Amino acid sequence: MATTATISISSDIAPGFGGISNTMTLTQAGTENDIEETTGFSRRRFAATTAKDLIIMADASLIQETDDNTAHKVYIRNVGDGKGTIDKSTYVAIGIGDVSGTPQPIGRLYGGDWMLFPVSGVDGEDIVATPENDNPVVLEYVMFYEI
Amino acid sequence: MATTTATISLSSDLLSDSMSVSADTTCMKAGTTADGLDMMDYGYIDVATGDEYDILDANNSGLNTNKANKVYLANHSTDETFYITVAIDGAIGRLYAGDWMFIPWGCVDQHDDIEIQAYGGTNTVCYALFHEGRTLTAS
Repeated sequence: MATTATISISSDIAPGFGGISNTMTLTQAGTENDIEETTGFSRRRFAATTAKDLIIMADASLIQETDDNTAHKVYIRNVGDGKGTIDKSTYVAIGIGDVSGTPQPIGRLYGGDWMLFPVSGVDGEDIVATPENDNPVVLEYVMFYEI
Repeated sequence: MATTTATISLSSDLLSDSMSVSADTTCMKAGTTADGLDMMDYGYIDVATGDEYDILDANNSGLNTNKANKVYLANHSTDETFYITVAIDGAIGRLYAGDWMFIPWGCVDQHDDIEIQAYGGTNTVCYALFHEGRTLTAS
């Protein structure tokens, strides 16, 4: 029951930079055992600048509450309007926190961009998405986690 | 135009039907469609336990805020019990030995450093920052 993620980065910014290629197998914290839980691959459409919780760590969106501070990973991609049009110049801001508070910004996910990062799974440290404008934008996402 | 592309292949057999996702993106400057990120920092460093360190310093980096910076961070330790915590002002999560992450970095204010702390032993960390340029600080 393995989950793997491979990243390849190529760039001609710096002469001689050979690029980056790295594969990880998602494992449970502190072990070589494969991670076993996932939200499944999801898709969500936004059409307003209102901040929304994309993944809530403490409620039924995960069916079972995550174990705190383990080896959870989240993948998110901005796929544009979801109908094939991707605007590289507009973004969805991604942060961590509670939508009713002031989420800590991570960064701006422009059209076509993707991100993969570890999360704590702690209650209230949800994944928050805030579109730049009211135009329709779709995020695809999946979380792998421990319980 | 400088061209930086980031590709991911993600596969999992946790579901009854295997999941496979591939995506690639060309890293552009903020708000543009034809001008790629053209500066980068790249490093490889041992991180000792005991303190939290700014591996990328928002306060001193001279980076403009709310840009389209991209950060790659990987834990090259080999002991599976070793990990680093990653924080941007507040906690993000843990990168265990062998794990990597790739995120946009808004660098919104001086508190938005990318902070890491090693646990288990000295962790070896690789990092790369792709950005639009910085203002150097006079010595």
